[in-house]
Amino acid sequence: MSALVPLRLALVGSPNCGKTALFNQLTGSRQKVANYAGVTVERKEGRLQGASGRHYALLDLPGAYSLHAASLDEAITRDLCRGFLPGEPAPDVLVCVVDATNLRLHLRFALEVRELGKPMILAVNMADVARRRGVTIDLALLERELGVPVVETVAVRRNGASELLGQIEGMAAQPHAPRRQLAEGADLHQETRRLLSAAVSMPTRTARVDDALDRWLLHPVFGLLALAVVMFLIFQAVYAWAKPLMDLIDAGTGWLGGAVGAALPAGPLNSLLVDGVIAGLGGVIVFLPQILILFAFILALEESGYLPRAAFLLDRMMASAGLSGRSFIPLLSSFACAIPGIMATRSIQDPRDRLATILVAPLMTCSARLPVYALLIGAFIPQKKVWGVFNQQGLVLFGLYAAGVLSALLVSWVMKKWRRDKSEHPLLLELPSYRIPHPRDLLIGLWERAWIFLRRVGGIILALTILLWFLLSFPAAPLDATLPAIDYSFAGRIGHAMTAIFAPIGFNWQICIALIPGMAAREVAVSSLATVYALSAVDDDAAARALTPLISDGWSLATALSLLVWFIYAPMCISTLATIKRETNSWRKMSFATIYLFALAYGASFVTYQVAVLLGAG
Amino acid sequence: MSTSLLLQYVVIALAVVVSAWVVASKQFPGSVRKLRVALALPLLRQGRPAWARAIGLRISPVAQSGDGACGGCDNCGPATPKR
Repeated sequence: MSALVPLRLALVGSPNCGKTALFNQLTGSRQKVANYAGVTVERKEGRLQGASGRHYALLDLPGAYSLHAASLDEAITRDLCRGFLPGEPAPDVLVCVVDATNLRLHLRFALEVRELGKPMILAVNMADVARRRGVTIDLALLERELGVPVVETVAVRRNGASELLGQIEGMAAQPHAPRRQLAEGADLHQETRRLLSAAVSMPTRTARVDDALDRWLLHPVFGLLALAVVMFLIFQAVYAWAKPLMDLIDAGTGWLGGAVGAALPAGPLNSLLVDGVIAGLGGVIVFLPQILILFAFILALEESGYLPRAAFLLDRMMASAGLSGRSFIPLLSSFACAIPGIMATRSIQDPRDRLATILVAPLMTCSARLPVYALLIGAFIPQKKVWGVFNQQGLVLFGLYAAGVLSALLVSWVMKKWRRDKSEHPLLLELPSYRIPHPRDLLIGLWERAWIFLRRVGGIILALTILLWFLLSFPAAPLDATLPAIDYSFAGRIGHAMTAIFAPIGFNWQICIALIPGMAAREVAVSSLATVYALSAVDDDAAARALTPLISDGWSLATALSLLVWFIYAPMCISTLATIKRETNSWRKMSFATIYLFALAYGASFVTYQVAVLLGAG
Repeated sequence: MSTSLLLQYVVIALAVVVSAWVVASKQFPGSVRKLRVALALPLLRQGRPAWARAIGLRISPVAQSGDGACGGCDNCGPATPKR
């Protein structure tokens, strides 16, 4: 192997053994890691350099229980290891990662990988946790019995992979195939048991604390109750804790708008910066604290190992709705963004379950919808306590998220009835050990979420805000204009034309305008409304007012409710549509998803608006 | 039209063009890629002057790495060499 060509290494192993954490440790990447199986669903590539100066290309592959693939993500691993993936050379060295606390399951796959006959290193990961649990592994004996180099790693600790890097360097200098192979006709399970009894001593198969917690958290009644309480508390916290920071950001953007407006001479550039950029972006960025609080809880739950338990608890309910517990993790990922959620469906083995999950994933409330909900709730729902304890706005937000989940279950149930599917698929899910989330990991996760959000604000949202400002400002009103100037602009005309379709659901032309850029990123609906109202203002004082009081004064409750309902179902952003097309490889299925979501959004908003008007809220 | 106003319109025109490009490349990356290839190819043909080839090289999209997609809101993270 030439020192100039980077040696190709592939991290393989069963799900949730810490491959991605090891990948991040070795390459300095920050790929998503969590304490459940199925986080990585496609190959990732990174580079690293050894102490010798040699360069390596490191591949992080989806976890697999066997090379006899049962799902799409397992097929990627199988094909790549065997060199069957088109345009992808086979890896030179396989680094098989096993969880030291779960060797009974993971060693079996390591034996299967060894049978490929490629140069291989076994990385026994989470060695620190295993030691704490009293598990002792005779690494020298294991190495002798397996015929491949064996090293300990702790992927989450600094320098926890230095020994592995040393072994990689050694293997690069003198690559060799495994020195032992399975005897003809030998059974993998039998061989695993033999290795375990020879080289590993375990006091118990599972941790005592896991058993104790699972007795309560997996209980059919208490478990569901605990899940409901956890979810409920999250949404209460989103409102109760975010307020001071939101007020601070709001005041900051208000001050900035005033300062820039005063510093620049009156003219189009002043309007672009104050009414367009600052009003628009300020309207979105104010919701950052709420998004971060929501993600703090999601990250903590991901790290703790509780989420697969929630999937187990909800399996019966999801099965009756035409989904399986396997759909839980993709649907939960969709609360952050539908795109990784849809991609996570690759771990679902049954193609019909997978399609059903893809089609309902956009109904989960993604974080981009949170600013829209928060804006409307802030404008129309009074901030008061219910029963002296609960925040009323938090209750409404919880209701909106619950409405999305229930709608997803209802839609999948209808799809199941439609295709007359009576089959049920048993859920086989690995329950990881509970882990106390590390504050440093949580802070890094939050920083990354904040960075992603701010990059969106400074990228696509800023670009769309500038384009919208342009469309709202040009052409100028004619000299004999009788209406406000904005009514003569490109966007004003488009908005007025759209009201022919959206008036029955209570949307005014300003809302109609906001819907179009909202197709690129949903938060842009908020920045668009801020820009539209800033440009529509009759004087500077009106333009400087925050968006919340403007819409609470200008819209009826029926319109606000209709828009809230619209955003529960609203057709997803273009990136989501592109992901559905790529994952299903079908224009038809993507078109179906778009049409059914639009029809659902329109129908539900229509009913909401008309009923609200009948009840006197119009 | 005063110089100040003209300058303001130039800045706005630039901002609008850049914004349109950002939106197009983020929302329709495949189409933008095809457009860049179509624009670059005639400029890179044999016999074109050096300046035209230089422009063609600038316009042409970078080769795709074949890495897994990391679309939407997710962060792919950097993959810088680490000693």
